Order: sequence, then structure tokens, then C-alpha cells
Amino acid sequence: MRYAILLLDAPYTSQAVHSALRFTRALLAKGHVVDGVFFYHDGVHNAARLAAPPQDEPHLVDAWAELAREHAVPLQVCIAAALRRGLLDEQEAARHGKQGCSVEPPFELTGLGQLVDLGLRCDRLITFGP
Amino acid sequence: MLLHTLNRSPLSPVLDQALAGMGPEDRLLLIEDGVLGALPAQQARYASVAGRVYALHEDLASRGLLGLCDPTVRVVDIEGFVALTEECERTVSWY
Repeated sequence: MRYAILLLDAPYTSQAVHSALRFTRALLAKGHVVDGVFFYHDGVHNAARLAAPPQDEPHLVDAWAELAREHAVPLQVCIAAALRRGLLDEQEAARHGKQGCSVEPPFELTGLGQLVDLGLRCDRLITFGP
Repeated sequence: MLLHTLNRSPLSPVLDQALAGMGPEDRLLLIEDGVLGALPAQQARYASVAGRVYALHEDLASRGLLGLCDPTVRVVDIEGFVALTEECERTVSWY
């Protein structure tokens, strides 16, 4: 089956990110296709390139990036939610006159239309809230 | 048949919203702090959906509640969670 994940909370805040990661890994292990993980509301903080948690704690940002690399899972970040929280890729940083960027691939800034598309295209859309 | 997930404890008003939103065949999966609702002392709160309540093994284990669930609550692991989403037409998340 084709699945999409919607994640609405930031890392190191609630259990939502851990639940979403565990569920997504279980989907892939079972042979399902994950067409995208969409990060919305405070979930956009999962794309923070500069996250530097203590070494003895799970690195949740890297965990998503690893899933994307190993299983070609698209990581889509709502651009409107991201910009107002200071999460900008190179292009947006240049456009807004900011030095440095805080989002890098495999995370991609994208529009809310992508979430609608995932909902229409996938057999299942599973939401993990705060 | 829909799957409803709930990550809030039985004390939360979100439980009432979830129960009100459930159809006669729908299933309720308790995750995160929601697994507190799997304890025998809480079962009166879940009477309207008795026999259709599931609780996530991993979240029970992390809270030291494995083996303490009411016998009517079915314990599923993360693979069981995936299976429930396969069986149910859609999944509604309450939080």
C-alpha cells in the first residue's frame, strides 16, 4: 500500500516524532511504500539543519534524513509554517536577505497543496499530533 | 470501518470527543499517554467501545504497564498498528 505521514509536532517536545518514526520504519520494513512525510505546524522544526542534540540522545533530524536516503522517502516541509519559524533553505534565505540557511536536502520546502496531493494519491494518510 | 488513534489519558476531554466521533464498527487504538486507558480501573470510561479497544505494546512497556491491562483490551505492537491501518479504510488521529 501507499502511505503518507503527517507530523504536527517538533522534536524533543512530545512523543509524536518518536511515534511517527517508529511507525514509518515499521511500514518500510513491511514493504509498504511511503510516498511522503509532510511536516506541518511545529512539525517543521524536524527539518532544522542546525539541530545539535547531546550525543547520547537520538538525533531525530538525522533519523528522518537517514530514512530519506535509505528508502527514498520524500520529506516535505510546509513553506508557510517553516518561514515564520525561521526555517529557510538557501533559496528562501537569499530571497529574504538572511545569512545562512536552516533547512537543507533531503528536506524540501513545499506548499500545502503537496499535502492535499498526498492525501489524494495515497491509500492511507496517518497523522501524528502533539 | 475507521481506526481512531488517541494519545491522551482517560482524564482528557479529547477522549470524550474521540468516543463521540466513533462509529459502531470503528476501532480505538491507544498510543503514547493514551495507553493509561488500558488499565482495568479505567474501563467504565470506554464502555461504549468495549471489545474494540487496542493498546500499543511499546508505549505500555515504556510506562511499565505491560501485563496490567484489562483483559478486554487487545495489546498490539507497532506491526499490529500497521496492520490496523491496513484493515481500516481511514485513520483518524485524536490528540
